[in-house]
Amino acid sequence: MDADLPHPPAYGAPAGIPRRLGSPAVAATGVEVRYRNRIVWKDASFEVLPGEFVAVIGPNGAGKTTLFRMLLGLHWPSSGTLSVFGVRPHRGNYRIGYVPQRHTIDQDTHLECDKLVRLGYPGTRWGPDQRWRPLQWGPRFRLAAEREAAAKALEDVGASDLADRPLSGLSGGELQRIFLAEALVGNPEMLLLDEPLSNLDIRRSRELVETIHGLVISRGVTTLLVAHDINPLIKCLDKVIYIANGRVATGRPHEVLTTETLSGLYGVHVEVLHDSRNNIVIVGGEDERGEEGA
Amino acid sequence: MSGLGNGIPFSWNLVTDVRILWSYEFMRNAVEAGTAIAIMAGIIGYFVVLRRSSFAAHALGHSGFSGAAAAVLIGAAPVYGLLAFTVVVATGMGFLGRRASARDVEIGTMLAFALGLGLLFISLYQGYDQEAYSILFGEVLGISTTQVALTFASCVGVLAVVAMIYRPLLFASLDEDVAEAKGLPLVGLNLAFLVLLAIAISFAVQIIGVLLIFALMVTPAAIAVRLTTRPLTAVVVSVVVALTAVWGGLFVTLFTNYPASFFIVGIAFVEYVFIRGIGGLRESSVLQAVDATERDGVRVLRNASLTGSLAQVLLLGGAALLTVSLLAYPGAAWNPSALYVHALGALVVLGCAAVAGTVSALLYFSGFRKLAALSRDYSSPAFFTLVGLLGIALTAGGLALYVSGVTLAAVSYGLAPAAELFGIPLLFLGVVLWLVGVFGQAVGGWRLGLRYGESALRTGALLIWVPLLGYTISFLGYRRALVQGPPLGSAATIS
Repeated sequence: MDADLPHPPAYGAPAGIPRRLGSPAVAATGVEVRYRNRIVWKDASFEVLPGEFVAVIGPNGAGKTTLFRMLLGLHWPSSGTLSVFGVRPHRGNYRIGYVPQRHTIDQDTHLECDKLVRLGYPGTRWGPDQRWRPLQWGPRFRLAAEREAAAKALEDVGASDLADRPLSGLSGGELQRIFLAEALVGNPEMLLLDEPLSNLDIRRSRELVETIHGLVISRGVTTLLVAHDINPLIKCLDKVIYIANGRVATGRPHEVLTTETLSGLYGVHVEVLHDSRNNIVIVGGEDERGEEGA
Repeated sequence: MSGLGNGIPFSWNLVTDVRILWSYEFMRNAVEAGTAIAIMAGIIGYFVVLRRSSFAAHALGHSGFSGAAAAVLIGAAPVYGLLAFTVVVATGMGFLGRRASARDVEIGTMLAFALGLGLLFISLYQGYDQEAYSILFGEVLGISTTQVALTFASCVGVLAVVAMIYRPLLFASLDEDVAEAKGLPLVGLNLAFLVLLAIAISFAVQIIGVLLIFALMVTPAAIAVRLTTRPLTAVVVSVVVALTAVWGGLFVTLFTNYPASFFIVGIAFVEYVFIRGIGGLRESSVLQAVDATERDGVRVLRNASLTGSLAQVLLLGGAALLTVSLLAYPGAAWNPSALYVHALGALVVLGCAAVAGTVSALLYFSGFRKLAALSRDYSSPAFFTLVGLLGIALTAGGLALYVSGVTLAAVSYGLAPAAELFGIPLLFLGVVLWLVGVFGQAVGGWRLGLRYGESALRTGALLIWVPLLGYTISFLGYRRALVQGPPLGSAATIS
């Protein structure tokens, strides 16, 4: 999707809020991050435009999850400026839907999928500022709206038939769809997906990527997705954020994933190879500083 | 029947028994306090299970022991010491960590110290044995009227707070990271939960004791999450289970004189074992999507088995009533008009049973007919159940002929002997065909059980000749099949 194209409004976006076309969804200038007093990465400057589908790639512990935590306002940059939709990141931002890497939900959770998805629903919004009130104290009266939003979210991720199944019987791919619906139910303008493709086989991960790409197009939702392997994603991506060796590189996939760029990023020679089906293999550099950071 | 153990004499008239129970003030207090406690424990227990904080509950109970001992030492009622100590410890735990369950080592250390402290307090106090015993194992019959009022007030307070924070707490308990990202105050919610837990435990200790606290705080909720996947339903089921345990325990203890704690724990345990045995909702297999028609069919069959169980309950109840009525008026047995007079209630119940049974048979037929459209496996059950419907019609006709014959015979002879004569073979034929229908229900249930990998369905099919059991187990099987769907690559597939 090209950034200059007029951007379709997000599904159910509150009317009356002018969307500032062209203003970045995420803007970082000279951001430095520390985790337990150690620099994770620094001098990061990048932009993500509204409606872009972005992969965040890098070795374990390079600070990909930390980037998400910063966007969610749970972690602060030690220097530099970071903004989400033009404002400083803050907790409880209703414009962001988040799927963490680990959930406390497992095989012992006896809960209907529909019930989990509904928990993500923002509920009653009042006041002129349209700000979501995360604490829905007291009883709620908008059950019908909630039910519809949950049904729509489940439909959009292709999981309508799972609505009344318990979470405990689902496969990994089905579970990821439910988590995706939970993040979508509040009609966010940005999705942060932390490793949704891990533990999925090749076919399931391709299906999930197709679903997510469909959401990026139909809902116009800006999506950042952390992944280990870029190959299932490469056809749909607008941009890659590559984090390694305490540095961050961004750009279009074919610009970033080149021998020159990655060698420069790592400071050692890294080879980017293409196989006959245009799959990408990155050789060297992975274990250089892979254990460090957070 | 004389009393079991040294208890109050027990009569088989339950109404009289409850009246006796209610005539003792200590028993009234115990039942009232127990009810409030069961409600609190059932609700909070659901969150304990959801958050996996049973260890925190255990630790709070133990710190309550030292609190109760301290209160006894200074001459106050144990409940005040319990409240003070558990709330303080809960607050400490709340600030210690976001999720108490993740803090095993700290909690364990504190738990041992609290128990030791309690031992010291108890030994400083003169009446050593009895007090320690009642704190550790509960003393339900020593609850004063003031304490009942306090328990009720706390129950109302706990209910109000849970109603306020229900949704955020549920979210934070289920999906902590997302809840945090949404801006929910995890520390505050955890703190609120632990304080509620402390209050519920303080009161529960009075009737069940420190060492048996799990029977009220964990077991009912553990049963509930096996029976339902809806949070609110689970809370209600959990409360109901806790109530049956407390009420049942108190009732039995009055007539036996053995400790109430044992019976409460025992009832909760038996319920848990029963639910585990049935298997509840739990089954983790890889599933595939099911055709809408098939789901429809299985849903109809589920309703059919439920109606079947209902019919059986009514039948048994009606038969019991009829027996009682006939024992009272033996002459009514072979005299229809006398039966109307003396056993009208029984006849009405039996009539309802017949209606429910017919509806059940109709639903079975319609369910198997839907499935027969998808697979030939179900065409013979559909046919058999249709034959069964015919059998029911014949049975009804035969019965009507026979009864009218007998009734007419009492007035005048005419067509009466003929009616009796034709009625009986018709009745027999009807029953045989009806049994063919039941056979069809069993075959269909067995085949669906194979398809869905549902042992409950197969067991229900085999036990269908013990109707109440068979229909009830089949119902559980159909329900689970509906929720779970068939496993991938199941043997007998609907094409």
